[in-house]
Amino acid sequence: MKAALVRYAPLLILAAAWEAAVRSGVVSELVLPSLTDVVSAWVKLLRGGDLWLNTAASLYRTGAGLLLAIAVGGVLGITMAWWRPVNALASPLVEMLYPMPKSALIPVTALWLGFGDGSKILLIFLGCMLPVTLGAFNGARASDQALVWSSRSMGASRLRVLWDVVLPSALPEIMNGVRTALALSFVLLVSSELIAARSGLGYLIGFLGEGGVYDAMFAVVLTVAFLGFFADRVYQRLERRVLRWRE
Amino acid sequence: MARVIWRIAPWLSVMAVAAAWELTARSGVVTPFMLPSLSVVVARIWSDAASGELVANLGLTLYRALAGFAIASAVGIPLGILIARSRPVRWFFDPIVSVGFPMPKIAFLPIVTLWLGFHDVSKITMIVFDAIFPIVTATIAGTAAVDREILWSARNLGASDRDLLREIIFPAALPEILTGLQVALPIALIVCIVAEMKMGGVGLGGAMITASRFAESPGVFAGIVEIAIVGYVLVKVMAAARRRLLLWHQEVLAPATV
Amino acid sequence: MAGTSQIVIDQVSHTYRPPRGREVLALQDVSLEVRGQEFIALLGPSGCGKSTLLYLVGGFLPATLGTIRVDGKPVSGPGPDRGIVFQHFALFPWKTVRANVLYGLEKLGLPRAERERRAQAFIDLVGLHGFEESYPSHLSGGMKQRAAIARTLAIDPEILLMDEPFGALDAQTRSLMQSELLGIWQRSPKTVIFVTHDVQEAVYLAERVVVMSARPGHVKAIVDTRFGCSDPSVFKSKAFVDKVDEIWGLVRDEALKAQGNQSP
Repeated sequence: MKAALVRYAPLLILAAAWEAAVRSGVVSELVLPSLTDVVSAWVKLLRGGDLWLNTAASLYRTGAGLLLAIAVGGVLGITMAWWRPVNALASPLVEMLYPMPKSALIPVTALWLGFGDGSKILLIFLGCMLPVTLGAFNGARASDQALVWSSRSMGASRLRVLWDVVLPSALPEIMNGVRTALALSFVLLVSSELIAARSGLGYLIGFLGEGGVYDAMFAVVLTVAFLGFFADRVYQRLERRVLRWRE
Repeated sequence: MARVIWRIAPWLSVMAVAAAWELTARSGVVTPFMLPSLSVVVARIWSDAASGELVANLGLTLYRALAGFAIASAVGIPLGILIARSRPVRWFFDPIVSVGFPMPKIAFLPIVTLWLGFHDVSKITMIVFDAIFPIVTATIAGTAAVDREILWSARNLGASDRDLLREIIFPAALPEILTGLQVALPIALIVCIVAEMKMGGVGLGGAMITASRFAESPGVFAGIVEIAIVGYVLVKVMAAARRRLLLWHQEVLAPATV
Repeated sequence: MAGTSQIVIDQVSHTYRPPRGREVLALQDVSLEVRGQEFIALLGPSGCGKSTLLYLVGGFLPATLGTIRVDGKPVSGPGPDRGIVFQHFALFPWKTVRANVLYGLEKLGLPRAERERRAQAFIDLVGLHGFEESYPSHLSGGMKQRAAIARTLAIDPEILLMDEPFGALDAQTRSLMQSELLGIWQRSPKTVIFVTHDVQEAVYLAERVVVMSARPGHVKAIVDTRFGCSDPSVFKSKAFVDKVDEIWGLVRDEALKAQGNQSP
């Protein structure tokens, strides 16, 4: 407890500096609402229900897009590592599209599926698939040849080896790719909601900002930032649990 | 014979996708609004290039993204080394970096706009804010991982504190630092495009959003193709720079991947 | 001042404090004197603190208790009078062999021509002629260690500290390097402290072998091992085999103790 306090003290100092800067009038309240105002705006948002509805919409979009990306990307990556023809056909496309700034897809997905959930899910799916694919591909390709041979020599079928040997040994890299995808999914979610949406946390930020309700806007921005941070921490926990055997 | 097939297979798949795009668009399965044909999109890029619009948009987007990236590097690398080497600096910045890195910082875009307006300054600030985290994190990791025996050897051979930083720690951490830069560059582009889309105006992202407002889908798809090419070229240039800078490193001996 | 001690280690203890967990007493009350131009080996089971003792003499780590004097002056930090060679070479991987060797010479502030001449001389001495422009990652383990030795010898330290320098090499390379090291030492004598856990290597190279106990390390015995012959055929002589047996007996007890410590 005390260790955590010492560790995170700099964040408290920053928070105190924020409050002090506004209270003392060094920074105008018109550009930076005080921390206390932001907190009370946040409480009001929580009571009102708007924040809940928009959070639910955002989380649904990230979750669905990310799950699709993990499922399709993982299968594609392992298949690429395991069957050479698939690799020959798919890897140039992956190589070409991987560096593409994924946010460029926002107008296209909006063009195809409108301003609702579908376009966000498609965007997150398309944007997050390749990091997972690449992780699965690298992981499966690097799986220990000796392990593959020894289980083959014990009579395991090709598919059995895939399940028993290749998948577990590719898991660390896959999970690493998923972590990149998780971070990317939040970026794409918020970006697309800022630009082309009628609900969701990103939309709420833009809406409040245009209406000049800055204390509430700051509250939602901090909520989004915290959600992204929290999701990453939870994922790290999960990763450590799943990969316990690696120690 | 088999080897020839493996050599041309990559081109086949790229050409197959291009052909599939063209055929799907022409077959009438989807409306031209949903998917204009590749030839229409290429023609659109061509006319944009001829009118000079492409150069203006491309130049401005590259300027913003690269300026932000350069500032993020110039601040992030020294900051990362400092965090790794100095206890008080680490105490102050460690929680900020570890909390800030996984945050979707793009959510701060409206705040940055509120403070700095709609001009380049706010876009570049947003890019720096986003791209600096992977650079700092990678620099910390690289600096902290410098082999104790290498530092001792340098000391033993007469290196001073300043020599150690410039001549030993920086080059030893360089592979990791470059990895951080390679992560940061696409982020700079992503953020730049989003900022341009949100604020409108000149730039590849702005041009795309304008086209989409006018329901002019060839413009949107032309934007995608242009941005994809920019991303691809920048990533390749970074990878080449890495190979050039790390001629001494083992990885250069190994075959390159992606 | 022949005969007097160049390095005096006086009742030195060292406590190691890991980032997490309890502190460890690595060395307890170690006293040892090394004469000028003497070749001594520090021998002991792994974890006995023999490398730690070397790092203390090098000035890389501070002694928790006691003092270490070199040429009468207490050690307070690293210095070019005590050159060090590590098990894993610690070459600067971004510099070529020549640039690695030149690094210490530049810090000495020698004129350019003199630097180049000396670097080449030591590269030739260790048999790396023709590999001056190679990066360490392109060299074999043995060649890397030759480069590291050249880099250290080039600054002409009076004392050479060697931390299991041949421990990462294969058996053939190792025995080749051993006799080359002896050759170099006989041609230009230096004080050498050589850390190893290989009894044969210690007996073959050193004039005196210091056997260290299991943790906390202290000096268990000092054995004279002068054979006056660098010919590898000495390995087969009765006197050599007997000496190895004698020391092996001392070390084995400690190795067993060390294992017992690890799994109580």
